[in-house]
Amino acid sequence: VRCQHYPPLRALQASAVLGRVSDEHKKEPLTSSSQQHFDSHPAGHQPEEEPQGPRPSYTGQGGQESEDYESEEQLQHRILTAALEFVPEHGWTAEAIAEGAKTLGLSVAAAGMFHSDGSELILHFVSECNTKLSELLEKEQKLVQLGKAEKKPVDEFLRDAVEARLRMLIPYIEKWPQALSVLLLPRNIPSSLNLLSSMIDDIWHYAGDQSTDFNWYTRRAVLTGIYNTTELVMMQDSSPDFEDTWRFLHNRVADAMNMSSTASQVQSTGEAVVQGLMGAAVTVSNAETSRALR
Amino acid sequence: VPAGGASLRLCSTRGAPEGINKPVIDRIIRVDHAGEYGANRIYAGQMAVLGRSSVGPIIQQMWNQEKDHLKKFNELMVAYRVRPTVLLPFWNVAGFVLGAGSALLGKKGAMACTVAVEESISDHYNNQIRTLMEEDPEKYKELLQVIKQFRDDELEHHDTGLEHDAEA
Repeated sequence: VRCQHYPPLRALQASAVLGRVSDEHKKEPLTSSSQQHFDSHPAGHQPEEEPQGPRPSYTGQGGQESEDYESEEQLQHRILTAALEFVPEHGWTAEAIAEGAKTLGLSVAAAGMFHSDGSELILHFVSECNTKLSELLEKEQKLVQLGKAEKKPVDEFLRDAVEARLRMLIPYIEKWPQALSVLLLPRNIPSSLNLLSSMIDDIWHYAGDQSTDFNWYTRRAVLTGIYNTTELVMMQDSSPDFEDTWRFLHNRVADAMNMSSTASQVQSTGEAVVQGLMGAAVTVSNAETSRALR
Repeated sequence: VPAGGASLRLCSTRGAPEGINKPVIDRIIRVDHAGEYGANRIYAGQMAVLGRSSVGPIIQQMWNQEKDHLKKFNELMVAYRVRPTVLLPFWNVAGFVLGAGSALLGKKGAMACTVAVEESISDHYNNQIRTLMEEDPEKYKELLQVIKQFRDDELEHHDTGLEHDAEA
């Protein structure tokens, strides 16, 4: 698993507040998780010695789960995942995060850990969708390897992968335009570009791309264009089950396939023309030579 | 800066072998691939000029070995899911021009070019071997083997170049 790791700049206060608050709720004891990151504690933070009750186990959220503490990152992941449920109602906002925190038995102050424009929530969602897509493509690949499924032609594969990924937006489609604009904020561009490019790379990898020349870039650029334009079309699509969007996608992928075959046709035509010219040049020079010798 | 600037680790699942230092391996494979690609083009340029001379067969032989090297790095690139350098079109032209240009200076020129290039490539491979040994010789055994073999091949080319440089 390749992770983009951002060094934690965690303010100790936030987790301390959570610890104290959750003490009150007696639900989510945070034992010394902060001690792992920092040497000094603010006065007044009392790390708990014993966790109360059984520790819930988290699966598939990344990070280390050892002994009986939960890393800050894992906690953040949990809160954001819980917050997704409230996005259709509240949008990608601190309110949704606060509601999510409440369902986990944490204080609404937990939303203070995150930016007020919902950046982390959106990036978390995108990252989760990409992970789901990779798992889906991995599963399909295994089926093909085991001979239980037919290998799809490239255009069909790309179409299906992009459709599968875009369908994950459907529950949040009302609020997705807002998310797109947040993803374009300069602060978020490195992360969102990174997520986008690794998703596109994943799709090509499972589609069987093995190019080691400039095609590597061309293919990814083309697919990124297809993905982005289809996403925008989807935002404005009101047809039943987004059939207009999938038709648009179908056409764009077909265009791309045509383009690449046209490009190779142009290249072979070009080569043929060059050969013709070389032949003509040799003929002319031979004619000159023989005339000079006469 | 908003209060509590959160920072999350955003994971994208990439099928990389577990436990390898992806950024280091990425760089190594990308640079080596570019290098072998460039070397290929250099020899192609030299062959275009000196192909029919007495050193033609020698250059051809060294070129063939470089083609094998490039093939190997193509395979490694796919296996480790490394992206190729974006400067490939540039190395395509620059390598050919360097090869043809040095060949136009005559056989000595071509051999001198070979000696210089192979020397710096061997140095470069040696540095990479050192880096990988410092990281974890066991984990990177296969890659180390490949690089060591290629380094020896390049040193051979270097010595061949010296031989013919001195003779011619």
